[in-house]
Amino acid sequence: MSNLIEFNDVWKTYKMGEEEVNALAGLDLTLKEGSFTAVMGPSGSGKSTFLHIAGILDMPTEGTFRIKGKDTSRLSSKEQAHLRRNEIGFVFQRFNLMPQLTALENVMLPMIDEDLEKAKKLMDRMGLAGKYNKRPGQLSGGEQQRVVISRALINDPSIVLADEPTGELDSKNADAIMQILQDLNKKDGVTIVVVTHNRESAEFADAIIEMKDGKIIS
Amino acid sequence: MNLYKMAFNNIRRRKLRSALTMLGIIIGVATIVVLVGITAGATSVVKEETSSLMYDVTISPSLSSGSSLMDNQTASKVESYPKLYNVTEFTGFQETINGNDVTIQGTNNWKQLKLKTGSSGVVVDSGVAEKLGYTVGSKVKIKDQDMTVTGIAKENGENIYVDQSLAKQMADNKVSAITARTYGDPKTVAEDLQNNITGVSAQTKSEKVAEVQDMVNQSMLFASIIASVGLLVGIISVINTMLISVMERTKQLGILKAIGFTNGEIMGSTLFEAGILGFLGAVIGVVIGAVGIFAAANALHFTDYMSEMLPVWLIVTVIVGSTVLSILAGLYPARRASKLNVVEALRDE
Repeated sequence: MSNLIEFNDVWKTYKMGEEEVNALAGLDLTLKEGSFTAVMGPSGSGKSTFLHIAGILDMPTEGTFRIKGKDTSRLSSKEQAHLRRNEIGFVFQRFNLMPQLTALENVMLPMIDEDLEKAKKLMDRMGLAGKYNKRPGQLSGGEQQRVVISRALINDPSIVLADEPTGELDSKNADAIMQILQDLNKKDGVTIVVVTHNRESAEFADAIIEMKDGKIIS
Repeated sequence: MNLYKMAFNNIRRRKLRSALTMLGIIIGVATIVVLVGITAGATSVVKEETSSLMYDVTISPSLSSGSSLMDNQTASKVESYPKLYNVTEFTGFQETINGNDVTIQGTNNWKQLKLKTGSSGVVVDSGVAEKLGYTVGSKVKIKDQDMTVTGIAKENGENIYVDQSLAKQMADNKVSAITARTYGDPKTVAEDLQNNITGVSAQTKSEKVAEVQDMVNQSMLFASIIASVGLLVGIISVINTMLISVMERTKQLGILKAIGFTNGEIMGSTLFEAGILGFLGAVIGVVIGAVGIFAAANALHFTDYMSEMLPVWLIVTVIVGSTVLSILAGLYPARRASKLNVVEALRDE
């Protein structure tokens, strides 16, 4: 399997008043296509920053990050947006749906070639049959997260990045969401990276990476 | 589902907010329509009423010619005289109908005639109508021409009005007077004319009328300026609303960026939303303005001038103008929206 994402001595430095904080301090990491990785660590360990750079939402201060061999710092903002839309699916902790749109409209929002049947089929697979026209406010947390996952998958991305996807769910719903992600990885070969501080959720992954102070410790 | 449809949804979902934003534009546009409309109407009325006075010289047969009518040849000479323009002919002659003296008057401008009943075409003064027992539809025969009375004028005179071309024809192609504007000083032109063309006399008129028309034009400009200030206030409210709406939607815009919309797409949809606000506001403003114009026309008895009071150019200009200005007002908020930092935007609650 070829390398999908590569972190090469990546540093990310923020200014907090006078002080400089290193959110990432020389991160080296390579993830292969078709892998399922969980990233764990206490808050402030840099795992969110790691995910933002992996999702091209943020740029390294130093070092290089490549996705599919492309150095993201060399891409225009338009090319970055196209990569996000075509290759990357995001699953956020706080669901982050458009409250004014129906579940189906939310799923289809980033869709490149509008295909109603495809969107419905995907939602059915996520256990959302019959919820097409409900608005996010009318759905439970678990259901909202399934809508988010459907939206993340609508353009058949090569990688799904999930930031605490089970953070706001009870353990039953959390396991169901992790099961869906595991299925996607095993059956569809989608590369998955999950950032979590929930050990139980992390166990679904094939590999667990522990982060601390902006570096990988195991 | 695309961003433009979503922008439209944003307006629909926040009805009160959208309505309040548009209110500024609505008031501005309605004010422009009403003020400019009334002034345009008044201008038309004044121009119509004074157009018969808008000439510098009157040329009529001289006393020595012994006739109140000049033949076509003389008239042509006058009309082709190089220092004259806006030349208008008038033909009027006496006739006796059933023993009553009447004057047949050719007219070029029916709007000046105040009608009691009927419509223009063949109009008799109410004095004539009374004496001869005419009503609308009565048959009249003048110089072997059979005509039907189409209207009765308010005037209690002795005139019968017909189209100037018809009057001239009935008078064997003769005219009784010619009015014209002059190039250069009217007095000099009038004197030259009398010397060059035999059998005519020329009188000059004051230029007051032109001054009145100029003043009316000025007042129209003034009204437009005042009304534009109103629209400007409306446009500022669009800037304000779009800025607030961008700030409120920081997180949503962050999500849009995270799922792969480009800065250009996000900017475009914000501008689209601003443009829709401006367009809808202007359309509603025009409708309200039109109602105002209609009421004003009725109150001022200008109803004959409705088309002048609500000209198409005005409607098109305010709608296009308001839409374009609103899009411009959306530029700064749209730029802010597109330049948002995604990570910070997603953290926004």
